[in-house]
Amino acid sequence: MATPRGPRPGAFPPNHNPNALANNLQNLQINQSNRQELSSAGSDGSPWTSNTSPFGQQPPPFAAGQPLPPPPGGFQTGPTPPAAPGQSTLPPDAMPTRPAGLTPQPLPFASRPPPPGVLPMGSAPPVAPGQSTLRPDVMPARPTDATLASQHLPFASRPPPPGVFPSSVGGPAAPPYSGTAPRPGPLGLPTPPQMSSNGPAGNGPPAFAPGMMQSGSRPPPPMSNLPRPSVGQVQPPTMLSSQAPSQPLQTRPGFGGPPTFVSSSVGQPGPPFSTFPRGPMLPGSSNMPPPPGSLTFSPPVQGTVQSPGHRHGMESWPQQPPQVGLSHPTPGAMQQQHQMFGMPPGPPPFPNQSMALGQTDLSQVDINHIPPYSSSSAVILHETRMDNHANPPPPATSTYIVKDNGNCSPRYMRCTLNQVPCTVDLLSTSAMQLTLLVQPLALPHPSEEPIHVVDFGESGPVRCSRCKGYINPFMKFIDQGKRFICNLCGFTDETPHEYQCNLGPDGRRRDADERPELCQGTVEFIAPKEYMVRDPMPAVFFFLVDVSMHAIQTGATAAACSAISQVIPHLPEGPRTMVAIATFDSTVHFYKLKCAQQQPSILVVPDVQDVYTPLTSDIVVQLAECRQHLEMLLDSIPGMFQNHRTTDSAFGAAAKAAFLAIKSTGGKLLVFQSILPSIGIGSLSAREAEGRSNISTGEKEPHKLLQPVDKTLQTMATEFAEYQVCVDLFITTQTYVDVASLSVVPRTTGGQVYYYHPFSALSDLAKLSNDLRWNVTRPQGFEAVMRVRCSEGIQVQEYSGNFYKRNRADADFPAIDCDKAIMVSLKHTDKLQQESGCSFQCALLYTTIYGQRRIRVSTLYLLCTNNLTSLFVAPDLDTLFSCILKQAANEMTSAPLSRVKDKATNVCINILHSYSKFCVTKSSSALLMMPEALKFLPLYTLALLKSHGLSSDGRIDERSFWLNYVSPLPTPSVIPLIYPRMIAIHDLDEKESEDSIIPAIIPLSNMHISDEGIYLLENGIDCLVYVGASVQQNVLTQLFGISSVEEISNQFTLQQYDNLLSKKLNDILNEIRRERCSYLRLKFCKKGDSSGMMFLSNMVEDRMPSGAAYSDFVAHIHSQVQKKKA
Amino acid sequence: MTEFLDLELQDSVRMPWNVLPGTKAHAANCAIPIAAIYTPLKTLPEATPLLPYSPLRCRSCRSVINPFSIVDFSSVNKIWICSFCLQRNHFPPLYQSISEQNFPAELFPQYTTIEYETPAPQSQDKAQPGSSNVFLFVVDTCVIEEELGYLKSALLQVLGMVPENCLIGLITFGTYVHVHELGFGLIPKVHVFKGTKEVTKDQLLDQMGFFTKRPRPTTGVIAGVRDGLSQESVARFLLPASDCEFVLNSILEELQKDPWPVPSDQRAARCTGAALNLAAHLLGACVPGSGARIMAFLGGPSTEGPGAIVSKSLSEPLRSHKDLDKDSAPHYHKAVKFYEALSKQLVHQGHVLDIFACALDQVGVAELKVAVEKTGGLVVLAESFGHSVFKDSLRCIFQAGDHDLGLASNGIFEINCSKDIKIQGIIGPCASLDKKGPLCSETVIGQGNTTAWKLCGLDKNTSLCIIFDVAKKESPDIVSQSANNQFYFQFLTYYQHSNGQMRLRATTLSRRWVAGPGIKDELISGFDQEAAAVVMARQVSFKMETEAEFDPIRWLDKSLIHICTQFGEYQKDNPSSFGLSPRLSIFPQFMFHLRRSQFVQVFNNSPDETAYFRMILNRENVSNSVVMIQPSLISYAFNSGPEAALLDVVSIAADKILLLDSYFTIVVFHGASIAQWRKAGYHELPEHQAFSQLLQAPRSDTDAIIRERFPVPRLVICDQHGSQARFLLVKLNPSATYNSDTQAAPGGDIIFTDDVSFEVFSDHLQRLAVQ
Repeated sequence: MATPRGPRPGAFPPNHNPNALANNLQNLQINQSNRQELSSAGSDGSPWTSNTSPFGQQPPPFAAGQPLPPPPGGFQTGPTPPAAPGQSTLPPDAMPTRPAGLTPQPLPFASRPPPPGVLPMGSAPPVAPGQSTLRPDVMPARPTDATLASQHLPFASRPPPPGVFPSSVGGPAAPPYSGTAPRPGPLGLPTPPQMSSNGPAGNGPPAFAPGMMQSGSRPPPPMSNLPRPSVGQVQPPTMLSSQAPSQPLQTRPGFGGPPTFVSSSVGQPGPPFSTFPRGPMLPGSSNMPPPPGSLTFSPPVQGTVQSPGHRHGMESWPQQPPQVGLSHPTPGAMQQQHQMFGMPPGPPPFPNQSMALGQTDLSQVDINHIPPYSSSSAVILHETRMDNHANPPPPATSTYIVKDNGNCSPRYMRCTLNQVPCTVDLLSTSAMQLTLLVQPLALPHPSEEPIHVVDFGESGPVRCSRCKGYINPFMKFIDQGKRFICNLCGFTDETPHEYQCNLGPDGRRRDADERPELCQGTVEFIAPKEYMVRDPMPAVFFFLVDVSMHAIQTGATAAACSAISQVIPHLPEGPRTMVAIATFDSTVHFYKLKCAQQQPSILVVPDVQDVYTPLTSDIVVQLAECRQHLEMLLDSIPGMFQNHRTTDSAFGAAAKAAFLAIKSTGGKLLVFQSILPSIGIGSLSAREAEGRSNISTGEKEPHKLLQPVDKTLQTMATEFAEYQVCVDLFITTQTYVDVASLSVVPRTTGGQVYYYHPFSALSDLAKLSNDLRWNVTRPQGFEAVMRVRCSEGIQVQEYSGNFYKRNRADADFPAIDCDKAIMVSLKHTDKLQQESGCSFQCALLYTTIYGQRRIRVSTLYLLCTNNLTSLFVAPDLDTLFSCILKQAANEMTSAPLSRVKDKATNVCINILHSYSKFCVTKSSSALLMMPEALKFLPLYTLALLKSHGLSSDGRIDERSFWLNYVSPLPTPSVIPLIYPRMIAIHDLDEKESEDSIIPAIIPLSNMHISDEGIYLLENGIDCLVYVGASVQQNVLTQLFGISSVEEISNQFTLQQYDNLLSKKLNDILNEIRRERCSYLRLKFCKKGDSSGMMFLSNMVEDRMPSGAAYSDFVAHIHSQVQKKKA
Repeated sequence: MTEFLDLELQDSVRMPWNVLPGTKAHAANCAIPIAAIYTPLKTLPEATPLLPYSPLRCRSCRSVINPFSIVDFSSVNKIWICSFCLQRNHFPPLYQSISEQNFPAELFPQYTTIEYETPAPQSQDKAQPGSSNVFLFVVDTCVIEEELGYLKSALLQVLGMVPENCLIGLITFGTYVHVHELGFGLIPKVHVFKGTKEVTKDQLLDQMGFFTKRPRPTTGVIAGVRDGLSQESVARFLLPASDCEFVLNSILEELQKDPWPVPSDQRAARCTGAALNLAAHLLGACVPGSGARIMAFLGGPSTEGPGAIVSKSLSEPLRSHKDLDKDSAPHYHKAVKFYEALSKQLVHQGHVLDIFACALDQVGVAELKVAVEKTGGLVVLAESFGHSVFKDSLRCIFQAGDHDLGLASNGIFEINCSKDIKIQGIIGPCASLDKKGPLCSETVIGQGNTTAWKLCGLDKNTSLCIIFDVAKKESPDIVSQSANNQFYFQFLTYYQHSNGQMRLRATTLSRRWVAGPGIKDELISGFDQEAAAVVMARQVSFKMETEAEFDPIRWLDKSLIHICTQFGEYQKDNPSSFGLSPRLSIFPQFMFHLRRSQFVQVFNNSPDETAYFRMILNRENVSNSVVMIQPSLISYAFNSGPEAALLDVVSIAADKILLLDSYFTIVVFHGASIAQWRKAGYHELPEHQAFSQLLQAPRSDTDAIIRERFPVPRLVICDQHGSQARFLLVKLNPSATYNSDTQAAPGGDIIFTDDVSFEVFSDHLQRLAVQ
């Protein structure tokens, strides 16, 4: 089976990777650049492949999926480079602009041991925005470019700070800021000072408003200078100004005090500006433009940063991790991390306030915060328990290596709160939620120890006889080991005779350390007979390809066939692997693959209203028996239907027919669909036009279009799930296909939707091949059932994700893989005892692809608390936000968009309100107080409001896809989806010194985009390459082999040319793909046309039709919080 | 008798009454109706020319000019007078040159039957050799491997014989129906339809993608090339034999037994009805209106979907005659209704359904009968696909040469006759075209109420039994009109010859009618007792099938007694005085054997067999039908040549070989001594060459019979006292039974039966006739 790493001991050699990865990457690249190569490459070289054999799937995963640790040192590089670019690009002035992001971050970082540099960054950015906002005049004044520049700065801010500052960013910006910045001090670093100042500025975001004010008040000139045009760009508009006053801009807590925020308050008026300057490093980071800041910060803090930077951070981490990880983490880095993480856990760190003092905790609203997106480059070494307590997990997006010493790895299970509130009142007061995100088959880091497989023989694993919880490290043995107390339900059980063992002086069983189930948070049990209703099912892969006219003409059929034939060699060997193929247009065509015949034959099922399988045998055949026929078929299918002019497509009928063929065993059904199903069972009509007109007239509720049109497909999907058939849907289309209705099938059956729109045979083939290969080779399991058990007092309220709800207590998965996460919302049924702690246990019973029945059990034990403050110390922002996102997505189909948006905003407001009301002792209404751990919550919330899924003008299909994509999305992928990672690629060759493959991340603001620049932005699905209007021709030539922007077509594919720039770009792309386990779809965007607009729509910190600018938004949040408090 | 045969030779017609009772009352007295058994495509005498132009038709009644038409050469514009309606018609310019010395052939007295071949105006389609004949094979795969092997080899052999320009299609079926797309190339492609479902033609057009490449015409279309179907889409399923031979061969070679599992307590799921339905739709879509045959090879009963005749459970037995009588066959009526609908469709499309039923079990011929008969299809019933009855019959259909069947298609048969004659209907393989007219009688039998019939399939032997009514009331002035005491009949058969050309055969008859007292002798002089027996046989079969509570024995006896009373010579109440004219003398004997035949005595036969026998009876000509009613028996002995023997148990002798031809079965029966000698191998010894010749003689005759017959009869070679001897004994008049006083002659035999012998029968007859 799929068990990823765990089971197979041999499988994951901790190290194996480096090279493998590298190789993989290369392969990937190849693919990218040239699809032909791709195919070939894929077959041989791709990591997945190679690995495949043994664990088959797993290996690939690693390679692809989890990036190995990037080369150590990454961090540093990261930061530095940015700086450089920033500098170069941006004029000093620019720096100021950024400011917005700055503030908050600084503090946090500051608090943390990390580099001083960090702080600065944050602060600086904020300022800029503020300014910009404020003064209209100013804005004009500043050139856009400036903005960009500022961004760079942020990077600069990173560790290298010192150096950095001086150099580019620091240079220009710094001076001014420094002056302003008081903070620096906190930071401690020399530069820091400046930084700090910036920090405040950072707050700036909110600051903006203030800033604006100030600016207004102040001499525009400075502002203008500093802020730069960027400001102007930014939104500053009036809004800000108005709000501004009220709200605090300030960013840096440091300055202001903890809370930073600054509202304008900040006195900073003066300072703010100064802050902006953020002079020090921040430049970039400083202002709002989180970007800079973030970058900077991240490096320093890592830990801290993470949250903010996640996305960014993530990205960067990954890279580094690989290197580091492999090599073995640098002690230093590791330690730091530990500390970071560790710290919190231990003591409820400091109350917020203290934090505040320290700097961040409450962070200010400063936009600056944002900046922190840092990417942490270091690999974190994470022990799940320290000092006999649960150790709060590192950010989901960071690269970390887990040592499982009692609690399960955060990869498998994360809780929104790292301390469980004892009462429901406490929880509701906090306005946060108690929810688990479980990803039972998540890919481990290659350096981690594989999961131990325990075989209890016929009797099966030891379980509590009352709640059926599985034996775990927190079960307490008493009575010389003759009895044990269940940590879940508290029941006392007899220890089975053969399992008895004496206790040591510490009360632990003497054999506890030898038995994985007693010392590890995650183990796998071999399931004995009684856990099976039938023999474990074989691995059945049924490929179903659309051959309607549209599919043939767009090349979708050929692409699907080619992808399938490339994946065939990667399927597990052996008699348990069965394959089948069918095609469909207005009828369904099965293929008789039996090898006894000279050639395969086609069996057409013409009745698409009442389908059936035309044969009982010979359609689903052992792979070994039909390999040749299959290959021949895949070659000839596109040609065979070349002259068919059937425009109809019977998706529902085809799926049903295929289902009937594999009903007896269950299996995976991989459907390639290119057009709206127009005939047969479950046919659909084009609702899109209707939907659009309705939106305009308001007659109907547009969100109805996000719901399935009727119950037909749902009924069908339910039947599939009952018989363990999982459907994955690859939609290769150029038109509306009603994803909302179609996606019900994958969603209910534990599958997934892949969406290629607009499909291009030229540029999407590689992605399709890679997606398919990952789909079948990644670690996965079949006919799975999952149940989460909790300590008394807590109950599972609901599961949410892609699975089938057979009953309330369990989630049934016809198939489950390493990329699927399930959200488990919990509710209190009783008061918890603070001293007893709280356990969660997730048990997944599944069949491996090799036909072994196993139970993977992950147990998480957390402390309970009665203290609201400690709740705010412990939230896991990534997980919390993932849950908010998923809940918003779930509501999208049933509630009007505005309500969903309001709700998401209110969640943010309520949490911050709760925090500032109950946890901040002294606060000024001018400051928006945020707990350190949640400092990016407003930014994420804003990004969520502006995301594709929640935008009212997006295509219905795209929104539906987004909603579905989000449903099973694991935490580490959520953040980048919402806040994509952007990097500059036109100046890659100037950053020789970097160790990390991926250069520094740029905040998502227009300010940071220069007309001479080329930028790459990725969110885990798409990868956009934006080409400015006045890019140097030689850069274009080097990267793309063209001489002018006009030559770029949408169908462009990336190739590697013989120059450093191109090579680096390809390296970067491969690295990203590896990190994401996804072959991102590459799209070219040109300034000035629709593709450019699309790219710019990702600049979530800017003001756009779909939402306010970051600074404005923070101001809004702040005002709402204040209003509530009052 | 010979004059009747001569008449038949010229006009392919036999009538029980060749002198007709002239009035309704007389006709009613005759017991046997005025009828004609007409063989439309019977080979004409060699001299008969084929006229390469269209016939001249009467302006008023559309009858065709014929030798009985009166031509008036006197007027400037020559004129002919229609013999049916007396309409005066002008000749067209083509006929300008005719004169009393220069007749066109159709006016020659000896050419009362003549054929026209007209280049069809719309010849583009029809005259195309390619579309001349279409064979759609429908093959049952729910059979054991061995049977499937036989079937495959038979089909493969036949494929080699199909003329190259014939189109061929293939459907196989079992639980599902597989329509093979022979024109797909690349790899074999099959459309699979569910057996439990009845697909409509519209669905088929949709589902098989016939209109994917061009807009579908609006409703009301049958399809076909003329109706917007592209030639390519037709060519997906129906290909010239020469083009698809390779594909077909490979498909047939790889053809496997239906793969769906069959529980041991169940019959295989076989969806014959769905398969035939699809075949009909497919032809209807591709080649409507042009000749095509569906050849169904059935290996067992239909158990699934429409037309099922029995459930899958083996605990339910197949229906028997008894079940049908008691109306306790649950599937029967539904199935018949289904096949009736199918037959309507096929007739509409002009297509033929042929059945090759080869199984020990019944396959549902009784239900299928309606579809086969109305379309003029062929039917062959055998026990196995390996049996020569099947293999040789199949080969017969495709063989060329003297013994070919002369298959023609798409026939339309029309009758014109004098206005005093009305048409009751036709018993035979045809379907009414519902063309009502003044000539239709109020009494209807068989396919009636019309003057035109469709013969989707017909061949050299296809014979229709047309039954007439005399409408004329008795009135003095009619009697006096001796000048015109002729009734005229004209049979027009428009058909597609196997060469693809459309032809019209016109047969015009004239028969004298008599009326008034004293006509008995005249009637007797025109009485054809063989034809009469055949008409009776068809009538009784028909009535048994259609009339509830019909008692065939009683009906036959009554008719016979009535005839004897009417036409016999006797003194009232004196049985011994009874005598019959030679014209009538054998008729009672025919009736005796008819009463004992498989047509009337169904007890020992399954409904399938009975249906089979009747279908053959209904399509055969008089002489073959007579053999079915009263088999011929030939005796071979050392000292004499082959001679006809009495169909009586007394003909059995130890030193004789008997050859019984009962049409369906040919029995070579060796007397006990002959059998012993043969076993001893004497015929292999040179000194006993005569014995060898004796053994060979009946075999040679058998071969001759078999060669000319379709379906090929079953050959039984048996010895006296052997188990197979029952095939002979059952046909013999049981003059000596275990019950009779007389002992069998040495070497002779007796029959274990309680049936009455002919002597007893005729005694009773005489007694009743004279009462």
